[in-house]
Amino acid sequence: MVAPVLEINGVTKSFGRTAALSDFSVSLEPGTIHAVVGENGAGKSTLIKIMTGLYHPTSGSICVDGVETVFESTRAAQMQGIAAIYQEPMVFPDLDVAENIFISHMNRPARIDWSRMYSEAEEIIARLGVKLDVRRLAASLTLAEQQTVEIARAISLDVRVLIMDEPSSSLSNHEVQRLFAIARALRDQGVAVLYISHRLEEIFEIADKVTVVRDGRHIHTSPIEAVTHDVLISRMVGRDMQDRFARADGHATGEVMLQVTGLGREGAFRDVTFQVERGEIICLSGLVGARRTDVALALFGIAPADRGTIEIDGSKVDVPTPKAAKGLGIAYVSEDRRKLGIAMSESVTSNVTLATLAKYVGKLGIIDGRSERRDAAGWRDKLNIKAENLSSSVGNLSGGNQQKVMLAKWLNASPRILIVDEPTRGIDIGAKAEVHAILRDLASRGVAILIISSDLPEVLSLADRVLVMREGRLVGEFSGEAVTEEDVMHLALGAGPNRDAA
Amino acid sequence: MHPTTLRVWVLFFVLVAVALFFSTQIDRYLSPRLFTRISTSVSIIAIIAAGQAVVVLTRNIDLSVGSIVGCVAYFVGGFLVAFPETPPVLVPLMAMGVGACFGAFNGFLVSRFRLPSIIVTLATLAIFRSILVQSSDGASITTNLMPDWITEFARMNALVVSGFQIRWIVVLALVVFAAMHIFLTRFRAGRRFYAIGSNPDAAEFAGINVQRTVMQAFLISGALAGLAGFVFLSRFGNITVVAGLGFELKSVGAVVVGGVNIFGGSGSVIGVLLGATMIDLIDSSLVRWPLVSEFWRDAVLGMLILMAVAIDVLLTRRLSARRTKAKDGRSDPATDATADRAG
Repeated sequence: MVAPVLEINGVTKSFGRTAALSDFSVSLEPGTIHAVVGENGAGKSTLIKIMTGLYHPTSGSICVDGVETVFESTRAAQMQGIAAIYQEPMVFPDLDVAENIFISHMNRPARIDWSRMYSEAEEIIARLGVKLDVRRLAASLTLAEQQTVEIARAISLDVRVLIMDEPSSSLSNHEVQRLFAIARALRDQGVAVLYISHRLEEIFEIADKVTVVRDGRHIHTSPIEAVTHDVLISRMVGRDMQDRFARADGHATGEVMLQVTGLGREGAFRDVTFQVERGEIICLSGLVGARRTDVALALFGIAPADRGTIEIDGSKVDVPTPKAAKGLGIAYVSEDRRKLGIAMSESVTSNVTLATLAKYVGKLGIIDGRSERRDAAGWRDKLNIKAENLSSSVGNLSGGNQQKVMLAKWLNASPRILIVDEPTRGIDIGAKAEVHAILRDLASRGVAILIISSDLPEVLSLADRVLVMREGRLVGEFSGEAVTEEDVMHLALGAGPNRDAA
Repeated sequence: MHPTTLRVWVLFFVLVAVALFFSTQIDRYLSPRLFTRISTSVSIIAIIAAGQAVVVLTRNIDLSVGSIVGCVAYFVGGFLVAFPETPPVLVPLMAMGVGACFGAFNGFLVSRFRLPSIIVTLATLAIFRSILVQSSDGASITTNLMPDWITEFARMNALVVSGFQIRWIVVLALVVFAAMHIFLTRFRAGRRFYAIGSNPDAAEFAGINVQRTVMQAFLISGALAGLAGFVFLSRFGNITVVAGLGFELKSVGAVVVGGVNIFGGSGSVIGVLLGATMIDLIDSSLVRWPLVSEFWRDAVLGMLILMAVAIDVLLTRRLSARRTKAKDGRSDPATDATADRAG
């Protein structure tokens, strides 16, 4: 067996109390395409950032050619021949292809010999077996061509380990095939390729070895011949029973509250049809990039749909703006607390009443602070928000409590339809259970709830029905009681259902 | 054609058109005298704009250049009053050195602490000006206190071709532009300014030292503002506390009108030279145009800046729209919905 070029030995990377990677080991051999698969948030991106020197391991070690090494910076990792290309290519739009390839080279003369640089760039591009005018500006290239430029840059730096992070997710089939040809050519030249993708069929097409990550842990590494789709999926989702939340009975009433028919937005999603009943909890499941959030943004009027219809209580409605959505009784709790959800420096009270300030405006347009504080206190008690003081800023609260403040903000608007995007991401298990209880309680009061979640155990414990999206379309629906994690993952990954969708 | 090259040609033809327009409005407009006057007055602002261009390429801005010009002119003038025997060749170098110190202060604050350059240099604009006011104590430097060569230098011709007088300071400005052009197009250190302005994240990932490169940009801007301070001293001789006031507006105007993208990453100093000339041409022609009050000069400059920025934004949008289209056109319909944004 060939000696590995890069080894990750027992690496743990923690952020506060959560470990994104724990005791993780993997080794990459030259001339091998090594695939890494795992669910959203399994720790794949953390792994890449450790390998490229962007993050430093909390514990554990990295070995290059069997010698323990510490990557002080991305530059240090680059010097060892480790390069990464990303889903969103990192090119310089105002520079031409040749300059993009050579800009970061240190060992070239200070004075640029343009004609020599062009011919060298042409040589490298030719080695990749593609046609590309090296004098073109990167801004005019397609995404696939920009990726090629990035790979060319890596090769020009004598890459030994090439990390490809979801490189195919924005490419057409034809472009993916060309990318594969490049990856194979590099492997045959002795490069160790680390390939990360959500698309299992691609993994089986290109990888020599596959490693499964789950919850930041290394689950299994084996030659690709030794595994099947089903084995991979069960390794990706397999969880201990203790992680599961108990299911509760649903409150669906049979009255349709929200009916969405043929909804679509150019370039995002299409043909989305579903309904939510009064008191029902629907979970929208799928991988990152499946465009679930875009459906929510369309329902809330932030990025309105350009096709299809939305009906509420049987009558057709238009939702061109968030204001219109609010007027219709729709509330949307965003996944991005920091950016879209909460004013971190403001007090708990102001955050809770932010979306419903009109309620507190008294005579002369002055805000009635007392009733504001009364309502905020009410929500604090109801949702068990742990804040010493309602006037302290939300930024000081824990993630779980921030999430509750955000929920309170929208619950204060007494919505009929509540859309929650990743309601428990990044919060601890106790707070998670509380958020679940709050959502169930709301459903029992007749609110129609649509939850977008990548957390499969959460989906399975909350949902009355599970809808699965992939690449902008609904690809399946399950009743919440009968579905398993494997069912959902099969559809979300596009591996085809292993049984009839219920 | 490369978009930057196109911009330069368009600018050149607009410049010619503007000159022809004024020649129909003003008697005996096109003359060797006009050439000499414009070329002399544009050389100061052009030298400042060449440095400003480098800063703008990196997605920053240097609003303190006017104050640096004033300070350097005053300090160098004061130095010459005290030491009139200083060898003339050392004086411009000293001016650049003093200017570079001011630039280093700006660069340090912007790159080390990652403060927005528009705020940092707005503050230093005021601070440097106050240093000048304070240290001069309201007193001016006057021509008769300094050695004669300094004021004669600005009036010395390098070349006279059939009435067209080319002054030495014009040659100096042209040398600065030639050097900057070669530096920015032929040297890796120069290309790095384009790289970090074009995509700072990618620059970081590619291992380019972004902080150091931004620092270099402010050093160049400061040094060239210092050199302009020397030319200013030579041309006007009398230096008061308002020396160089308003040059930040003119230099940013020259850079933007000259086709340097205000969002960084693209542009050429040839364009900046044309931009500076355009601004100065319009400025001095309006004074002689009876139809429009000369008090509109600043408004015209403002309009020019707005127009140039609008063109930039439109071009950028057009370019990115075309890019998206190219991508959609080529991709396989089956994966059309596969998108690049998280769902």
